Amino acid sequence: MQILTKNWDKIDPFHIDTYARSGGYEALRKVIREMTPESVVKEIKISGLQGRGGAGCPTALKWESAAKTKAQDKYFICNLDESEPGVYKDRTIAEKSPHQIIEGMIIGAYAIGAKKGFIYINGHYEKSAEILTVAIKQALEKEFLGKGIMGSSFDFEIEIFRGSGAYICGEETALINTIEGKRGEPRLKPPYPVNSGLFGKPTVVNNTETLVNIPFIISRGAKIFSGIGMKNSPGTKLFLLEGAVKSKGIFEAPLGTSVQELIYNSIYGGGLEEGKEFWFAQIGGASGRLMTAGNLDQLLVYGPAEYPLGCGSILVVDKSMDLKDFLVSWSGFFHRESCGKCVPCREGTFRLHEIAKRIRNNDLLPDDQERLEDILWTLGNTTFCPLGNFAATAWKDAIRIFGDKIFKAA
Amino acid sequence: MSIQKILIQYEPVPENVLRAVKDVNRHNGYLSENDCEEIAKYFSWPLARIYSLASFFDEIRIKKDRKIIIKVCSGGPCLMEKSQAVTRQIEMLLKLEAENDGSPKYKLELMSCKGLCDRGPIVMIGDQIFEKVNPENIDDIIKDYL
Repeated sequence: MQILTKNWDKIDPFHIDTYARSGGYEALRKVIREMTPESVVKEIKISGLQGRGGAGCPTALKWESAAKTKAQDKYFICNLDESEPGVYKDRTIAEKSPHQIIEGMIIGAYAIGAKKGFIYINGHYEKSAEILTVAIKQALEKEFLGKGIMGSSFDFEIEIFRGSGAYICGEETALINTIEGKRGEPRLKPPYPVNSGLFGKPTVVNNTETLVNIPFIISRGAKIFSGIGMKNSPGTKLFLLEGAVKSKGIFEAPLGTSVQELIYNSIYGGGLEEGKEFWFAQIGGASGRLMTAGNLDQLLVYGPAEYPLGCGSILVVDKSMDLKDFLVSWSGFFHRESCGKCVPCREGTFRLHEIAKRIRNNDLLPDDQERLEDILWTLGNTTFCPLGNFAATAWKDAIRIFGDKIFKAA
Repeated sequence: MSIQKILIQYEPVPENVLRAVKDVNRHNGYLSENDCEEIAKYFSWPLARIYSLASFFDEIRIKKDRKIIIKVCSGGPCLMEKSQAVTRQIEMLLKLEAENDGSPKYKLELMSCKGLCDRGPIVMIGDQIFEKVNPENIDDIIKDYL
């Protein structure tokens, strides 16, 4: 079943007509002509769609809260910041099917009553920004955007906002702060953005991949959508296969597909590259857990799961690699990207990176193992936002599984 | 372009602050204290707020770069494509050490993911991005650039 990738390489991203010919903007027409905002929210609720950015929060929950909050101005934001190492799905969606994002946004804005939207694009994604700028212009010309959309009384405009290269800005409140011209530091929740977000107004922030599901749910019906994948985690997901697999790239698969199948099935990864032996896989980017051969049968779903699928990347690491390089890679990344707002994260990631470098250089200090445990606990339990916990996740797994190797070599 | 010419393109509303800051940074290569003051005046914001915004982002420089900055992606997928070997090759070629500011002319840093994982390893020199870099072609890339 193709929902997310059905238009890929079949339509011309620079021409709205090719999208319209393949059924594009039909869902919007249905929404405008036949549905009330309440019934749109209800439909999404029935579909069970969960946010694809990583946390898996039910999309309808955000929409419903924002719709219920009374305010003159509301905002609808599409999160295309994506800076998790190993993840480029949203960039690819924007480059291959930009109108699907815009259609999803307009429907969302209609449901919550927003008149203005932003697409928050990663500062490095030049091509995505270029394509989406053209797409917005064409949607305006066709009256899918602007004043009185398709002859109704519903107005909605979309502005593109470019980030400036900071991982933390993918977090919704940090993202909102940047649009307001503030440092990209996360805010204390509550209040949640759906009640008080951009400029203090109700704001929905949805991941790009979440939004491209919306046209399908509306035109084909929530029941069909909820029948795909797993009962508590319906729909399909873009999985990114990287590292030592034979075919790398983005694959659409139903939620609830096992890691084993994604790596070894010939329609996905097709097994490991010639002469390489599986060591472990990291699920969900630098903040993801490590999965060893014995656990590959785990199903990737949203909701409570032992191995959270995050944004869907699967990095396959073979035995020729050196774990120490990964330790430095993870700690270096979070040390650079910690926003500095809270001390446990700012200092914790700094010290973690120092220890990582000592591990790599084989000059561990006598107390480092103890310090490391202390730092990882602090990062996991005391930081202001989840970034600290992210920084500790892969490390904790690495120590649990390969601890002897890490400390013995010292 | 003078800073006023850049600023005049932006309506002085909060969502334009970062846009203006980035634009000035792009034209001048960095934001001087004077630039920050001009921007603050234009948006009627305190200088401290402009400076705190500008100093937050990696891409925005608050000092003039006197060195050529080379960055290698340190993300997992690039690592799997041997970005480590690229880093080592650059270290040898330019006789410096990554993440150590000892060299007078160059600076070699590790950088975070640029979302180009299907074309790695990724190397950035100045503002220019190079894809599918390997230890064999990095010498030519650097020589061409310099």
